[in-house]
Amino acid sequence: MKVEFVLNGKKVVVDVEPNELLINTLRDKLGVKSVKYACGIGECGNCTVLIDGEPVLSCLTLTVDVNGREVVTDEGLSREGLTKLQKAFIEEGAFQCGYCTPAFILMGEYLLREKQNPSIEDVKEYLKGVLCRCTGYINIFKAVLKTSSRREDSGNA
Amino acid sequence: MEDPYKLLEKWMSSESFLVVGRGVYRVDSLDKALGKALFTEDYYIDYFLENALFIKQVLSPLPHARIKSIDASRALSISGVYGVYTARDIPGENQVGYAIPDQPLLAQGKVRYPGEVVALVAARDYEKAIKAAEEVVVEYEELPALLDPLEALERRDVLIHEERGSNIAFQTRVRKGNVEEGFSKAQVVVENEYRLHHQEHAYLETEAALAIPESEGRITVIGGLQYPHLGQKIISRVLGIPMSKVKVVAPYIGGGFGGKDDEGPLTCAKAALVAYLTGKPAFILYSREESIKIHPKREAAVIRYKSGVDENGKLTAIDVTIIHDTGAYANRGPFILWRATMHASGPYEVPNAKVDGYAVYTNKVYQGSFRGFGNLSIQFAVERQMDLLAEKLGLDPVEFRLRNILREGSTTLTSQVLDHSVGVGEALEKTALKADWWRKRREIEEYNKTSERFKRGIGVAVAWHGISTSRAVPDWSNAYVKVELDGSVTVYTGIVEMGQGSPTSSHVQIVSEILGVPVDRVKVVFASTDAPDTGATHASRGTSIGGVGILVATAKIRERMASLAAKLLGVNPEDIEFRDGRVYSKSDPSKNISWRDLVREAYARGVEVSATGYYYLPKGRFDETVGQGFAYPAYSYIVLITEVEVDTWTGEVKVLRVYPGLAAGKIINPQQVEGQIEGAIAQAVGYTLMEYLYFNEKGWVVNTNFTDYVVPTAKDMPEIEKPVYVEDRFKHGAFGAKGVGEMALIPGPASIANAIAHALGVNITSTPLTPWRILEYTRTSGRG
Amino acid sequence: MYRLPGFEYYRPLSLEEALVLLDKLEDAMVLAGGTDLVLDLKTGRYKPKSIVDTSGLKELKYIVDTGEALRIGALTTIQELVDSPIIASKTPLLWEAAREFAYWQIRNMATIGGNLCNASPAADTAPPLLVYEAVVKAVSTSGERYIPVTEFFLGPRRTALDKKELLVEVVVPYRNLERHGYAYRKIGRRRGHDISIVSVAVALRVDDGLITDTRIALNSVAPVPIRARSIEEFLLGKEPSIDLFREASKLVDRDISPISDVRAPAEYRLHVSRILVEELLLKSYKRAFKGGFE
Ligand SMILES: Cc1cc2nc3c(=O)[nH]c(=O)nc-3n(C[C@H](O)[C@H](O)[C@H](O)COP(=O)(O)OP(=O)(O)OC[C@H]3O[C@@H](n4cnc5c(N)ncnc54)[C@H](O)[C@@H]3O)c2cc1C
Repeated sequence: MKVEFVLNGKKVVVDVEPNELLINTLRDKLGVKSVKYACGIGECGNCTVLIDGEPVLSCLTLTVDVNGREVVTDEGLSREGLTKLQKAFIEEGAFQCGYCTPAFILMGEYLLREKQNPSIEDVKEYLKGVLCRCTGYINIFKAVLKTSSRREDSGNA
Repeated sequence: MEDPYKLLEKWMSSESFLVVGRGVYRVDSLDKALGKALFTEDYYIDYFLENALFIKQVLSPLPHARIKSIDASRALSISGVYGVYTARDIPGENQVGYAIPDQPLLAQGKVRYPGEVVALVAARDYEKAIKAAEEVVVEYEELPALLDPLEALERRDVLIHEERGSNIAFQTRVRKGNVEEGFSKAQVVVENEYRLHHQEHAYLETEAALAIPESEGRITVIGGLQYPHLGQKIISRVLGIPMSKVKVVAPYIGGGFGGKDDEGPLTCAKAALVAYLTGKPAFILYSREESIKIHPKREAAVIRYKSGVDENGKLTAIDVTIIHDTGAYANRGPFILWRATMHASGPYEVPNAKVDGYAVYTNKVYQGSFRGFGNLSIQFAVERQMDLLAEKLGLDPVEFRLRNILREGSTTLTSQVLDHSVGVGEALEKTALKADWWRKRREIEEYNKTSERFKRGIGVAVAWHGISTSRAVPDWSNAYVKVELDGSVTVYTGIVEMGQGSPTSSHVQIVSEILGVPVDRVKVVFASTDAPDTGATHASRGTSIGGVGILVATAKIRERMASLAAKLLGVNPEDIEFRDGRVYSKSDPSKNISWRDLVREAYARGVEVSATGYYYLPKGRFDETVGQGFAYPAYSYIVLITEVEVDTWTGEVKVLRVYPGLAAGKIINPQQVEGQIEGAIAQAVGYTLMEYLYFNEKGWVVNTNFTDYVVPTAKDMPEIEKPVYVEDRFKHGAFGAKGVGEMALIPGPASIANAIAHALGVNITSTPLTPWRILEYTRTSGRG
Repeated sequence: MYRLPGFEYYRPLSLEEALVLLDKLEDAMVLAGGTDLVLDLKTGRYKPKSIVDTSGLKELKYIVDTGEALRIGALTTIQELVDSPIIASKTPLLWEAAREFAYWQIRNMATIGGNLCNASPAADTAPPLLVYEAVVKAVSTSGERYIPVTEFFLGPRRTALDKKELLVEVVVPYRNLERHGYAYRKIGRRRGHDISIVSVAVALRVDDGLITDTRIALNSVAPVPIRARSIEEFLLGKEPSIDLFREASKLVDRDISPISDVRAPAEYRLHVSRILVEELLLKSYKRAFKGGFE
């Protein structure tokens, strides 16, 4: 089947079987590297993507289901350079092996879009579906919170 | 001056630093933040998807059985299937045991655990490989299986490895002083049996390797492993080709924690075998389920521990038996057991000691390296004992520990005199002060008197961890550093990047510090057998030991460049200073030359601008028959104070807060160190409260996915305070660094258990502390 | 890493079309959010010949308040329940269960219809819906019918639905529960997302000092999510007290039949079921009376 959708701002057309999963289309056919396989059953969140702005799991999504929709991955968050959150991840040392990082960044961006000034509890609630085995999450919380207050500052200015 | 020991000493004595000790951003930051970092599977997809064979493993469903026949004909008849490979097809040696030659790469004659790899199927794509693997028919003759190590220890009629004559894979012992006499002087004696369980690494990237046949019979393997040179050695052995024909590199690795130290070389060898036999690139990727079934786990242990103290609160003797459930193969079990054995006293002075260690075969997934390496379970026993002794003596747990703690000049369990770098006492005092230990402990006890359902507790645990390989086992560091014509610097090391950050932060910092070049002009080519053998990235050695070779090579180049600069600037070499990409005369900074120009001069004037840095760790003698002598060149130390709340009705435990205190030598990058501590605490919380393998009656691990094997999420983390640092510099570590990576996991479970014991007033002797286990412990006291 | 087996794929654009497909196709399964079904296809639990993908049927995504009940379209996602002020105010038990359900990404995909039709003993919307005595609307080309949730689950992964029927709506009456106190709690192995060891939903009404209605539902402790009828009957007409609730909670043994599995031993499930029932009865009572026992 021919499937057409917008991936990170660009229109793409792929020919897929109906049983193809979005994670495989993105990784095998469309050059997306940030979306990761880690559990295959929706438990680890490492394959998170935004579809029409909402976070979902690409390992449980059929590619045919994104026909006509918009898919964003970590690669597509910023056209030029780093987003503030990506920068904060670097500054706060919010990753180690980096395997889960793109999923955290997507969820963090999503959170900051929904809530300008999240509490630490909000951060945990939004991020709890992405598993990280290296960092213990603490620096990830810091990076997200840091970005939010910065946004607020610039908003007030 | 090119003597490595003198060079290290010289740099060790520096007092002020340009980049060392600061939170410099890691060089892998950008790629990782943008989602561009490449892991093994990414190379396969980018370059080999249509060309490489996909490998699927055929696993044994039985714990113990003789292989009667393997029929691959149906599998081979599927179009797109290239081959089915078994032990018979191995051209070299089918032997991959790291410590004892007891382990085949592919099952030979027998299978010894459910999940053992019997055959490899190679097909054009994933689907075909899966299908073919299901069609391989293996006929087994089932043998009686042993699942309990205590039973296996006794049984002679069922042998897991017949050739070894018993089910004991390995034995260790320590004999120090006179234990009977020690106990006779004791005022108080405490004796317990502890049971610690397995742990799954649950790194997010599963095992993967891509093998590419090249010209002249060479083979290159890209894979997730913690010691490329070990992979090279194993592949060369399995294929029967010289090591020089095998190149192994690891790209970014999605977590290792020890698991990829054991399984990584085997993963690479499987891919290499198929590539070698077919002449085609071959790729293997474990599914999560395969990963959990196949790869080695943290050891499960039974520890019998008896200890005595005199009326002054000084330990007089310990008598310890350690039994490790080593599973189907010894793997690194002997090293793990030695580590447990030599750490059996904890970081305390004990004049009389008897320790016996046994690694026992069972028909379960085998044990292997996992952050802490045998030390987590023994420190659990030690630290529970210390609390129980303190309680019986009526002493505060911190105070009691301080009376016995190792200090400079102390003699260890193996009778080694600690001549330097023993900051644990200071770390314990400072951490207790920071945590407001004495006041909190009182307040909590008051709170618990009136709170019926919810009880709080605060606990302390201290741990030590020997740096480097144990005993006289050789250990060295090695690296190759070259300065390019444009002044940028390339470093080659075998240390890998699996998240810990040594090649992407501390190694870069070391070079930048010594040559005064900006961090972004330094490139560390890591995890490659093109570098000299650097040893493994394990045992918390990536920065401290892995970095020494780099330090030495770089320091050699600096000496040469300093002489050249001195000549060019007309000053003497002692007056030369390197910073910010320039080289100055210290006394007259107007005399200077840019680093780049200096490099150009060096190329023009015949000064060699590349160097290897080899550093052999001086070690002493160790007598294995009594477990006495030189154990480690130094130890890292850590203190964890933990606060918990227990719901005595549901058995749920909440870890509220952790105060870490670290005596691990020089802290080269504090942000990275905190990341290591926080990550280790997450694994400790997971291990203690929710992670466990669930074995069925056939020895199968039942929970082989992340629905059933749960690890901590963002919501499960305690607050973690900024660590207290005692920088007790280590004379053989880069800038005095010891090791950090494993530290906070080691006393983590003990610290939580001690806090729970404080909350509930019960004796805790086992893990995991699941809610139902907690209720068993409270049954007598609470509402069970 | 995982691939799905092949199947014939249909993507109806209207409810009509979906029903016709279900009628016509042999061995078809409905796909909604896919958080259960895609997984079951991966592991081979189900091997249907065809898949009818209903995820595009916007007409089955709604929350309507009739004044007596909420009508919830089957394709409404769990996150939409969480985000809905109507759900929060009219059916707070369902709202609390939705908030504790999995995690963000899954809640964005998982539908209420899928949760019920999957008929897992651990389905988290089931305890509140059992308490509200919700009714589901099933339709097929031959007509429609209403099935009470209390009669919907027949066993693990088995429902009263016919193969050719589609669940289109969940009707949640709330008016007769407006004077009840209520409470919900889910226990798992960790604080982040987990399949429940047990979830309990309770609603309690007291008139003139006597209990006039109690509804208690639990999941993960029997082959299907269930009501604790023995306790409910025991409490009827009695005067509420801490001791009464404690005594009542012990009767849960008669209503549930937990098993041991990877997540917890049977004895623990039994024990926490009692604890939770007691705790939630008390909490419900306190909510109803803004204070509870003095
Ligand atoms: C990581 C993870 C965490 C989870 N956590 C939870 C949790 O906390 N609590 C919980 O209860 N569940 C949980 N689940 C299970 C799952 O998310 C829910 O059961 C979800 O509500 C299923 O809805 P769905 O739309 O995804 O259904 P699908 O997977 O699309 O379908 C499920 C089943 O219902 C059938 N079906 C779906 N819609 C209809 C319909 N309208 N008419 C007839 N048949 C239909 C399908 O054929 C299929 O058999 C979790 C799942 C995952 C992967």
